Amino acid sequence: MSVLKVKDLKSYYISEVFGIKRTVRAVDGVYMEINRDEVFGIAGESGCGKSTLIKTLLGMIKPPLTIVDGEIYYDFGDKKFNILSLNPDESRKIRWEYISYIPQSSMSVLNPVRRIRDTFKSFLGAHKKFEKDELEGLVKEHLSALGLPTEVLNAYPHQLSGGMRQRVTIALASILKPKVILADEPSTALDVVVQRGVIQLLRNIQEEQKNIIIIVTHDMGIHANICDRIAIMYAGKIIEEARTDEIFKHPLHPYTTYLIGSLPKIGDKSYRVSAPGSPPPLSNLPNGCSFHPRCPYVMEKCKKEFPSLLNVEDEHRVACFLVNKEDDNGARD
Amino acid sequence: MGQEIKLLDIKNLVKVFTIGSGFVKSRITAVDNVSFDLESGRSEIFTLAGESGSGKTTLARIILGFIEPTSGKILYKGKNITEIKGRKEEMWFMREVQPIFQNPFETFNPLKKVDSYLYETVVNYGIANKREDINSAIDEALNLVGISFQEIQGRYPHEFSGGQLQRISIARALITKPSLLIADEPVSMVDASLKMSICNLFKDLKEKQKVNVIYITHDLATSYYVSDRIAIMFRGTIVEIGPVEKILIDPKHPYTKILRDSVPEPDPEKRWKEKIKLSSFEEREFLSIGCKFADRCPYVMDICKKECPGDIILDGVTVKCHLYSA
Repeated sequence: MSVLKVKDLKSYYISEVFGIKRTVRAVDGVYMEINRDEVFGIAGESGCGKSTLIKTLLGMIKPPLTIVDGEIYYDFGDKKFNILSLNPDESRKIRWEYISYIPQSSMSVLNPVRRIRDTFKSFLGAHKKFEKDELEGLVKEHLSALGLPTEVLNAYPHQLSGGMRQRVTIALASILKPKVILADEPSTALDVVVQRGVIQLLRNIQEEQKNIIIIVTHDMGIHANICDRIAIMYAGKIIEEARTDEIFKHPLHPYTTYLIGSLPKIGDKSYRVSAPGSPPPLSNLPNGCSFHPRCPYVMEKCKKEFPSLLNVEDEHRVACFLVNKEDDNGARD
Repeated sequence: MGQEIKLLDIKNLVKVFTIGSGFVKSRITAVDNVSFDLESGRSEIFTLAGESGSGKTTLARIILGFIEPTSGKILYKGKNITEIKGRKEEMWFMREVQPIFQNPFETFNPLKKVDSYLYETVVNYGIANKREDINSAIDEALNLVGISFQEIQGRYPHEFSGGQLQRISIARALITKPSLLIADEPVSMVDASLKMSICNLFKDLKEKQKVNVIYITHDLATSYYVSDRIAIMFRGTIVEIGPVEKILIDPKHPYTKILRDSVPEPDPEKRWKEKIKLSSFEEREFLSIGCKFADRCPYVMDICKKECPGDIILDGVTVKCHLYSA
């Protein structure tokens, strides 16, 4: 059963300075369906729109970000809604209890002049009414369940190491047992050993609370380690989507093939080739398939039309004319 | 044995930083008794790997002459670089050793055209005076990194992607025809699909231009791909040094083992299984007397907390660990 359904989502950054209108197509026609109890990964390089997609899923829309088209349906059984049509009051109620968010830089989330305890209190107090002692107990219980020392509650953010701060942020995001956790590069700024600890923590939370985790990162190693399904984004569109083992073994889109083929592995010194050229700016995308200027298999058709994301095999979807030969421009629902 | 002059010879290098002032001072040894060397007459890529706070960037900055070491010697082609005096010697050293920085967007001034940097480098180092000679020197350096002069002429940094800018900053470093490049995390800010092209460029420069590279990184997978030798740093000391195949395939030091196992493999069949222990207090590790990894080490012994382990040569690899002392 799908909990989250995204239909033809288009969110652009539209700005107008001195009469010059500029449109950045950060998310451009994304379809997604995410099932219960699933860890879903979104991969792509910087500037492909993956962070904007996460922001839109959270309903965090502020100008110049504008939703041009599309729907985002959440279905939690007891609560069904389209997050784009909620008013600010309603979406505040949903956040943290149903949908929560782990940002990349934990330093800018935690207030530098307040102790971690106060941050926890104000977050929780905004969502539920608690007795004074009950709240403290709940926080301590949650922290020790995640394997964090309860002394951190007395500390100020600058007294903690980067990894500890990120784990505190994850504890904060998971304390109300949300149904969906959106994580935007949760381990990118951290060292490898600490990164492993953070991913371990996310996996523990998922096993315990059975929530959906949508994890955005450019690091394919992290995706291989934690995700059930992966979507590859390029220039605002999802170009391939499949189960993790499937995508690593049989990537179909030329971009995915490059991305996975160029990953260095310890114990393998064979020559790796990067994709030629560089990613296009989102404000000035080429016609047709946005990968065609870099693609070695480019055909005439690729320069004119955009291939739609179609099912190739069971749960493996690709947007490429090489694979979808009999594509008759039939739009998906 | 005949005393052969090495390209770079670092002996017992120490750098101590003092934190705080007045009565509450604490001393942190960022680089603690580090020694290694690069042979002359052959080119190699040498990796300094470690986590943040391991002292790898401090070490690089000392080699470049940006900060002075507390004690120890750095000999570059037999010359002690802390004793370099006068404009002429300084110029010679700066021409020989060139840096490449982490973030290509920060190395270039956004208000200046990219080619002005290359132009200034040529003029400042006195490589050419005439306009034509300058242009040909720039063109030559750009060709090495696979960019033509026409592509960059008159353009500003924001018009390039991170990968292209990093190539241009490598070209800038190559103008003086250096023997040693010091690259501090050169690929960590570059897009995933272009990372390997920069790595390939370093391999190319090593083979064709005979440039030595000290490659500083936390990414063990790319360091395995590009480098010949690797040194693993932990809290200021080199815990293990040797050929990259030996160290990353069969690590000896317990810290290298943990580091090696924590690299996320892009293979869904090789997921992490064991759980690990994270350090909660970084400062304590810096200040501990014995082996700095003792608190987290799964094989810790009594001696580890009292004495610093010495260098033990084992199977072509030098490792600092009491486990291997006889």
